[in-house]
This record gives sequence, structure tokens and C-alpha cells, in this order.
Amino acid sequence: MISVKLDNVGLAYRLYEKLTLTAPDRRLGGLGGKIGRSGGKQVVQALEDVSFELKAGDRLGLVGPNGAGKTTLLKVLYGIYQPSAGTVAIEGKVDALFNINIGFRPEATGRRNIVLRGLISGWTEAEIQEKMPEIIAFSELGDFIDVPFKTYSQGMAARLAFSAATALDPEILLMDEWIGAGDATFQEKAKRRMDELAEKAGIIVLASHNESLLESVCTKRMTLKNGRVESLTTKPAKRVGARAKS
Amino acid sequence: MRLHRVWIALAHEDIGDQHRRTTLGPLWLLVNYLLFIGTFIFVFKTKDTDSAGYTAYASIGLVVWFYLMEMISLSVPLFSREGSFIQGTRLPLFVYVMRLTVQCIIRAAYSVAGCIVILLLSGLGISMEWLLSIPGLLLIVLATPAIVTVFAFLGAFFPDAQFIVGNIMRVGTFLTPVFWAYHGQGGIQNYAYHWNPFTYFLEVVRAPIASGEFPMHPFIVTAYISLAFWAIALLLLGRYRKRVVFLI
Repeated sequence: MISVKLDNVGLAYRLYEKLTLTAPDRRLGGLGGKIGRSGGKQVVQALEDVSFELKAGDRLGLVGPNGAGKTTLLKVLYGIYQPSAGTVAIEGKVDALFNINIGFRPEATGRRNIVLRGLISGWTEAEIQEKMPEIIAFSELGDFIDVPFKTYSQGMAARLAFSAATALDPEILLMDEWIGAGDATFQEKAKRRMDELAEKAGIIVLASHNESLLESVCTKRMTLKNGRVESLTTKPAKRVGARAKS
Repeated sequence: MRLHRVWIALAHEDIGDQHRRTTLGPLWLLVNYLLFIGTFIFVFKTKDTDSAGYTAYASIGLVVWFYLMEMISLSVPLFSREGSFIQGTRLPLFVYVMRLTVQCIIRAAYSVAGCIVILLLSGLGISMEWLLSIPGLLLIVLATPAIVTVFAFLGAFFPDAQFIVGNIMRVGTFLTPVFWAYHGQGGIQNYAYHWNPFTYFLEVVRAPIASGEFPMHPFIVTAYISLAFWAIALLLLGRYRKRVVFLI
């Protein structure tokens, strides 16, 4: 049975004062929350007392201003961040679409990049070979698939990244913002693909600022502010695929 | 362990990327080594040192030293270099450790090839004793993931370590008996030989070829150092694995 259950989850971490000559401080990247002091040390309270429960069929939309903790919460669900308080209980295979460009290498060919991407995502050799033709077909790259990735136009690169990243059978799908890729016709196709994914996935957690998207996909809506849950509302279930025509 | 294909593929790409579009490709690694050791033998060779013996001594010492130096210097900034992966995927940290390990081993293989060529040309004569170097080489390879892990954690928790370790390794080139041999001298060379862990890593590979006997004492010391690194590495991975993501 697919389910997600969070009990009073909190995430606090120390900010280390670094003494280095190396460039910019990226530790705050993608994180937000309150900065406080405890015992002379800077502590960021990224999440505080977050509790909710999701069952198969639930589509949760995360909303809130920048730095409210949306991405942090997704990363806690994915297992990248370990919560410092509370418990996370997840049943089912979790897949995430955060940074679809991760792991792409400019010098490798498109085909090789699909293999690398698959390996990073934990697919087996057989799964990669099985998905390969479909990914290539969906990306519409044709003969360019055997040319180094760096020669691709931005649109082509985005199409390949999108095709590879979404070639999965998710049980629980975590998404940070909607992914726009390629030209108008491809975007239409991408949207259909996302709808299919949404239909297939047992649970979706989606962080977005796009109101109409949240409206059409989500059955639940959670507003985060400063790492705390401000409101959690459920609305009557809707057919997810209905939005494809809009 | 079923993730081995990930790190092998990544290391393979890393090596390829460094040499893409060059004519010699990874053979540049071999050229680098030959040029370096050629210069050293030319400069340091004197009448009173037996030349074939010294050539073997320095060329093997340099292979092992280059390997250790590269491995340690690259492992300190390992986690921040892999930051986007660590923050974006669920791959265990050990994947990045193995990626670097495999990369270092592939690169070292080119130097080893160069070293064998030099040994053959030096007129030392091939002997079965050379095979006694293999346990030492294996021991170093087995210790590599642990050493990489320890230095990678050090670099993540203490960013200054990058500069400290960089300096130590540079000084170490001269404090370690890579080019000079120890013949019972006193003073600083005595300490630099006996109290330097690198000495033992060098000797386990070098002694069988340079002097024809199995270096039991250095082998035991190296084995203990490796075990200690593994113990610390496993402890760090166990306790601080999840904290790394907040530090990079």
C-alpha cells in the first residue's frame, strides 16, 4: 500500500562559519527558513512541526513564498535531507524530478547521456536498454542522438533531459515546479506526458507557484510559511487528465 | 555494491573528458610521467650511486608517490565538487568515493606502464622477485577508498583542510624518500624515513624490485595504517553521512 506519513517533522541545521578563500557560499541554495541563534551558533530552522498523511490517489500541492520550505520538504521526502525531528514513514518507490539536467555531460553523446542518467537513477542495464528507444523517440532528436550533447541547442538539450527524466514508472512522484521544455508542439507533448505520469503515480507532491496548474492537478493543498504548515485543505477529487485540453 | 556500474561509468567519462579532442588522449599521462622521471634521473644520477639501482628506486617511488598525492589532493574537495549530485540524487556517498578511486587507478595504470618500460630499459634485469610487489600494490589499492573517504570528510567539515593538505603533500614530496634513499643517516632524514607513513606505502612496492626481498615490516605497517583508515572511514560514513549535504 502506497502511503506517506509525516509526524511533527522538523529540520534544523547549523550554519558553519567558514574560513576559506574559496568562492561563494552555496550552502543556502534551495534552502530557506528562519535563521536563529542558539548557543552562539547560527541555526536555520528550515521546517518545523510538519505533519500530514497521504494515501494512494492523493495529489498534494505545496505553495508558499520563496524560502518557505517547499523544496526542503520535497528533499526530506526524497531522503536527501534527514529530518532533525519527527518521523517520516513512506511506503512505495519514490521518484523525483528536481533538477532534470543533473548528470548530463557535454562531451558525451545523447545516447551515452541516457545511459549515464539511467545509471544515476538506479536503473538496471536491461531497463536502460528497454527505455532507450522510447526516450529517443520522445525527444525527437533523430540522428542527433549520436552527437555530443554540447552541440545541442538549448531546446534540444531540454527535450532530451525531459524525456530521460520522465521515463519512469513512479509510485510516489515528487516534483519541483513544472518543467517547460522545447517549442510549443513539444510543450504540448510534455504536458501530456506529465498527465500520464500523474495518472500512473500513486501519490504526487508538487511544489509550484502556478495557480492554474495546482488547481487542475492537486486534490490537496498545503501552504507553507517560514517552514511551518499554515494551512492544509482538501478539495473534492477531480479527474487529473481533464486539464490536458486546456 | 550493485551501483558499481555507476562509478565505473562516471570515472570512465571523467578520464575521457580530460583528454577529449587531444591527439594522444590519456597517453599524455604516460608522457607526463616519463618526462618527469627522465628529468630526475638525469639530474640526480651521480657517479657514486649505482645508476640502474637508482633509476629503479626513483621511478617506482615516483609512481606510488604520484598516485598517493593525486588521490589525497583530489579527495579533500570531493564532496563539494559532487555537490549537485549530493543535493539532487540519492546515490550513496560511497559512489563518489569509488568514482575517484577508479579514476586514480586508471590514471596510475599509465604511469605503471611507463615505469615498467623504464625498468626494462635501465638494465636492472627482470626477476621473479618483482612479483613480490603485487601484494603491496593490492594493499594500496584496497586502502584507497578508505583514505579517500577520510580526506573527503575532512574537506567537507574543515574547508581549510584543502590548503593544509595541499601544502603538506607538496612538502611531502621532499620529506618522503621518493628520490633520496635512506642509508642510516641521522637527523631529519632519519625521522622523515621512519616516522613518515608514506615511506611504508612506497617501500611495500619498491623494496621487492629495488632490493629483491619482501618488505615484511613495511607491509605490516601499511596494513595497520590501511585498517585504521577503514575503521575511521566506516565510522564517518556511519555517523556523519547524512550531515554532508548541509555542509557543501
